[in-house]
Amino acid sequence: MPAELNWHELMPFTHLLVHNLHYIALAFMVVAYTIKIWSILKKPAAREGTPAKGDHKKAIQYSFLLLARPDEMESTRKQWYRWIEFAVFHVAMAVGIAVAFTMPWAHEAMKGSFIVYFQQGIFGIAALIGISRLVRRITRADMRAISTPDDYFCLILLTLWMGSGVMNAPQTSEFWLLSYFSMATFFLFYVPFSKISHYICWPFMRYYMGKHFGHRGVYPKKRIAGA
Amino acid sequence: MAMSEKAKEFNQLFKERLNRQHVLSLTACAHCGMCNDSCHYFLADNDPKMTPAAKADSIRGIYKGHYDWLGKIVPFWVGSRQVKTDEDLERLKDVVFGSCTGCRRCTINCPFGVDMAGIVSLTRSCLVDVEVAPEGVLTVMKDQWETGNQMAVSKEDYLETLEWLEEEVQMELDDADFKVPIDKEGSDFVFVINPREVKYAPLSLQAAFKIFHVAGLDWTMPSEGWDNTNFGLFSGKADLGGHMGNLAYNHAKQLGVNRMVISECGHGFLSTKWEAPNWGKANPLPFEMISILELMVDLINTGTIILDPKKNPLPVTYHDPCNLSRSSGLTEEPRFCLKRSCLDFREMIPNRADSYCCTGGGGAMSMAEYAKKRLSVAKKKADQIRETGAAIVTTACHNCVDGLSDLIKHYDLKYEINGKSMWLPVKNVCELVADAIVIPMELPKRKPRVKEIVKPVKVLVIDDQPDIVDYLEALLQDNGYEVITAHDGDEGIEKAKADRPDLITLDVSMPGKSGVTVFHELRNTPTFEDIPIFIVTGVVDFRQLMYQKTVEAPEGFMQKPINPEVFLMTVDRLTDRTRQKVAVEESGKPA
Repeated sequence: MPAELNWHELMPFTHLLVHNLHYIALAFMVVAYTIKIWSILKKPAAREGTPAKGDHKKAIQYSFLLLARPDEMESTRKQWYRWIEFAVFHVAMAVGIAVAFTMPWAHEAMKGSFIVYFQQGIFGIAALIGISRLVRRITRADMRAISTPDDYFCLILLTLWMGSGVMNAPQTSEFWLLSYFSMATFFLFYVPFSKISHYICWPFMRYYMGKHFGHRGVYPKKRIAGA
Repeated sequence: MAMSEKAKEFNQLFKERLNRQHVLSLTACAHCGMCNDSCHYFLADNDPKMTPAAKADSIRGIYKGHYDWLGKIVPFWVGSRQVKTDEDLERLKDVVFGSCTGCRRCTINCPFGVDMAGIVSLTRSCLVDVEVAPEGVLTVMKDQWETGNQMAVSKEDYLETLEWLEEEVQMELDDADFKVPIDKEGSDFVFVINPREVKYAPLSLQAAFKIFHVAGLDWTMPSEGWDNTNFGLFSGKADLGGHMGNLAYNHAKQLGVNRMVISECGHGFLSTKWEAPNWGKANPLPFEMISILELMVDLINTGTIILDPKKNPLPVTYHDPCNLSRSSGLTEEPRFCLKRSCLDFREMIPNRADSYCCTGGGGAMSMAEYAKKRLSVAKKKADQIRETGAAIVTTACHNCVDGLSDLIKHYDLKYEINGKSMWLPVKNVCELVADAIVIPMELPKRKPRVKEIVKPVKVLVIDDQPDIVDYLEALLQDNGYEVITAHDGDEGIEKAKADRPDLITLDVSMPGKSGVTVFHELRNTPTFEDIPIFIVTGVVDFRQLMYQKTVEAPEGFMQKPINPEVFLMTVDRLTDRTRQKVAVEESGKPA
């Protein structure tokens, strides 16, 4: 029987991290993101004044839903395994963040074996994906050419975070709790400055892309009868 | 290191011109590499610097240097960089002009939709304003500002060409009633075209005129504002883009037309229909704008024209121009037309929005300094074409016609017909539609028109290949021309001096004095100024004569292998003025 983590006897720093610092970091991230979005939105958007050929609404929907349609883009159609990697990795990140904010107050409920195995499964796969992405980034010349130190750093840290998530899930050691939460807290402070903040741009990008291509009748892709 | 004046200005312009979509494209990239395999520059030889993300990083780094929080403090960490010297600007020029055609294939394959064409256009506009841009681009921009068209065709030459084409269509249809209406007020539509059609490649115009006439349409050519091409798009300069658009829109407004029909030109359609109304603040316009492809679909659908696909029996494939397929949604219309005009239509794989660039987009045809690279990265497109086994390549863009013609020769794409191996011809869609059109019974009953050559005009053929010289000599003599021949540049210049020809056909690649040198010598000799020069060549170097224009551009060009029909049409067009002059001198009546 493995030892159980006693949440009432955490070291002072662990307690501060899990119950206070963690939320301060979240607040910091929200403020930083707000500033970032504001700095993007303060730039004037290019607008279309011509009569529309297509349907903006449908095209915007299509643009967003492409995320879930790997068959619609050549890049994901040909590299379907990378789309699966992307999907699992990002779901694992979302689960990781959810765990970081639910565990401090719902740790008892999260000791159930299904929840533990689920966390370990998804974090474990994500860690393996992280390693494979890192290997690809290091071994392929085209990936090295587009990689900055920030790219490597984020990938290594996220992979380690996922690994610590696997170890932390059964709540057996304060060391893994500390590892998991210190990395999560660091991310909350660091993310707005790093490439990981790309997801903040995604909805705006897909909106404008859908609107632009919809206006010009490119999206959604269509066929005319007899062609 | 102190910042150069040009770099200072560039940085200032870059910051001023950023819009929200640019900022998003410059911020969002996660360096996932999903776009890498979408770019023909990368796929050609897997050069890691040629992936879209790597090229975008050259621009993204500048943005990060100005705006990114970490980029300003620890530049190396996020790849931010500064443009400080003129050399930095030159390097950037090689990326945005020499390594990207703005085809947007990476954009549609990016999980975010990073608009590479948008950020490349932004950077081009700033570089153009500090005069760090390919000579050809700057020259064509100047021509568009000064003459209202990209090939500096004078109004007189333009109208004369239309008149000459009118005669050609009359001859083809055996119908003297055919007229090319000019500035006909209240017409249903005005037809705006690519100057290449007027100056060098009139077959597509002839085809369009034939279709309009057989369909009995109410149309007109404009005497001004007829150029649908727009180097505002290639240079990123919205002021030029707006100016070119407004020339066409204002004239169409004066004519009171219902529609503007845009000829087969990818960037011409994109800029005239979608971009220029925004650049020139011309919205709303009182007429509709459509592509000739859409018009032809309508004519076929309504039975206004009847097509007989048996008239085009050879296998045909279609190349999707990027600006039509990825940026304007015109993917099905050309297929609709071709499937009804040809017996054997074969798809290129991949196609439609996934099609690879012809490699001549983004103004690349006017950038002689990048011609070698352009051809080296065209391998993917060449492989695509080869795999179709087609005998004819069609496309709906004149830039693509040039780009594809160059790569077909470079990669030696041939088709065997009647035991003869020929380079694949590249045609516009309307040419195949016009070839397949069934002429209604009543048309031949109209007044027939026969063109006569009053007195032989003299043509000097300069080419180092004896079989080409013999062939052209026989072809011209059979059609009533007097022919003088020369087998190298020096002999050509001597014979031009001695015999004063009415036209010179000139090969570019010759041992000793090259065709380019001969061309410059002829142009710089005052006594030869008025002799038209027709470049007939198998190499791509001649494009610098067309675009950089250190001297006046050649009046005609065609690529080998020689299509006798097109060759004779061009000779006829270029000597038309001489014939008319002779006719007036001899009988007092124009020919």
